[in-house]
Amino acid sequence: MAEITTNIKPKLRIIDMTKRYKNGDGVEHINLDVYPGELVTMLGPSGCGKTTILRTIGGFLDIDDGDITIDGQSIALLSPEKRPTAMVFQSYNLWPHMSIYENLAFGMKLRKVPKEQMNQQILEMLKMVGMIGSEKKFPSQLSGGQQQRIAIARSLLLKPEVLLLDEPFSALDAKIRVQMREELIRIQQELGITVVFVTHDQEEAMAISHRIVVMNKGVFEQVGTPIEIYDHPVTRFVADFIGEMNFMETPDGIRAVRPESLSLSRGSQGDLHGHIRTIMVLGHYAEVNVQCGDAVIKCNVQRDQMAGWAVGDEVSLSYTKEQFFATETVE
Amino acid sequence: MSDILQNHAKRKKRNQLLSAYALVLPAFIVVLLIVAYPIVNSVIRSFTVRGQEGFTLANYVYFFTEPRELANILYTLFVVVVTSVLSTVFAYALALYLRFVKSRVSLLIGRLYLIPRFIPGMVAIYAVIVTIRDTGVISRLALLLFGVEFQPALMFNTAGLLTMNLWFNIPFSAMLISAALAGIPDSMIESARDVGAGRLCVFRTMIVPMSIKDVMVAATFVFMGNVGGFTTPYLIMGSVQPKMLGISLFDQFAKYADMERAAAVSVIMFLICSVSAVVYIYSNLKERAWEKQ
Repeated sequence: MAEITTNIKPKLRIIDMTKRYKNGDGVEHINLDVYPGELVTMLGPSGCGKTTILRTIGGFLDIDDGDITIDGQSIALLSPEKRPTAMVFQSYNLWPHMSIYENLAFGMKLRKVPKEQMNQQILEMLKMVGMIGSEKKFPSQLSGGQQQRIAIARSLLLKPEVLLLDEPFSALDAKIRVQMREELIRIQQELGITVVFVTHDQEEAMAISHRIVVMNKGVFEQVGTPIEIYDHPVTRFVADFIGEMNFMETPDGIRAVRPESLSLSRGSQGDLHGHIRTIMVLGHYAEVNVQCGDAVIKCNVQRDQMAGWAVGDEVSLSYTKEQFFATETVE
Repeated sequence: MSDILQNHAKRKKRNQLLSAYALVLPAFIVVLLIVAYPIVNSVIRSFTVRGQEGFTLANYVYFFTEPRELANILYTLFVVVVTSVLSTVFAYALALYLRFVKSRVSLLIGRLYLIPRFIPGMVAIYAVIVTIRDTGVISRLALLLFGVEFQPALMFNTAGLLTMNLWFNIPFSAMLISAALAGIPDSMIESARDVGAGRLCVFRTMIVPMSIKDVMVAATFVFMGNVGGFTTPYLIMGSVQPKMLGISLFDQFAKYADMERAAAVSVIMFLICSVSAVVYIYSNLKERAWEKQ
């Protein structure tokens, strides 16, 4: 991504931004460039500051220092209604006393969009989010997933320069969540819109993002593409937070190996030795826990390679990929 | 087997029903004896005149044609409507301030504003009287601090009565309206700001529609509570004409011992209350389209 985008001007820039709460929490010296058409996800555990950053972009929090620009123009001092951003919140915050049509039309009416044009755009948008025919319904008559589609449609109708999504799918059922993910990717590609997405769900972040910002305790741990972050985590926190990881202590540091990088064999030629504690078949693969000394190492093995193995068997483990965190970088 | 299960279910349901009735019955009997019966009795009595046989409208004719009595009815309506409107407006403003302004002052007011609810009515009225009467605290402080002779002129007139009514009713209404405003999530308002609505627009298009029902309920409570007001008008107004109906009722009942006319005043007060009761029930029962599931 970095090589491609160096010639392109960033859509959104966060420049040395600081936002401190009265209790001392907050984020400091945040720098981030988001490029046109890019979907960047802020990922981290709750309380890591990801939502704080999103809310400063949307104008719901004032910043204490630094600047935020869109297309080179500072938006730091603008109130939310004056910013070219649109936000989709976690709670389906459609206005309950307005019909779906009124919800969608509200912002356009404020912008004095001519009625014919407004009707046409609303219809097109409803088609895009698959909600044609719901115009006259009220939010309480829709399911959570449907409400969130309308909330996204409502934001997109205002043609924001940057779309902000604050854990938009985390209140939805697992199945709907995956479906909404796919639709968001489709809509984002179709419109080429710039998106900043906040989530604590690493799988969701991996699935939808061009780039992920992994955050912890108000600090950017790593910024990179999903593959970079998965294959080359730069800190132990990232390695632990993204996907599953086995950590093995060695005298000079910590060795980290993903469960799928491990393979089982008999004999003593592998990197690690132990015996099988449990075998859980989870569909197309099996999760095998191997006791190696004091540590339990998790291995994900294709089902067809599990034939002949049983709990208690002596096993030798070898791996192809590993990460190494030298002792001084470990907290 | 299924017969046994069905019988068991039936028995269980019947027992639940019986215990439910048993729980309701005592309250029901009390209501019947000390509310329903006296009401029916009063209504019947209001259509009679002492020493005369049979049904008559004489009491009502008296109250609606005698200029003094008619003035009392109109005065009561005036005071109650003004009290309801003013206390609702002030309480709405206060509740909005407490909900949306986060500062030390608002936090302090938020803690203090319910205190009037804990002060016994009579105590409060005497305290206010001591403060506002022409020889009261305000007057003395004005003289002491600024050397000005100032008389608030709030005793024995409508201004004083309204002031006291607001003292009692603003905290009460603010409490009800605050509960409604607390039910509006911040994100509703933030999303309205996000799509371009300014503060005034958010108030008009979001906060009012989402809270108007409870504002109406607060207003009707204040209305109903003040129709039968006695202590405040009695202590502030004394026997100044025109009188609130509460004092008029007291006169008929205690001074003249005219039970029939007292009954008629009661019925008139009840009818005035029932107007706002209708508003209350209407605004509560009417399920707006968006509230249906």
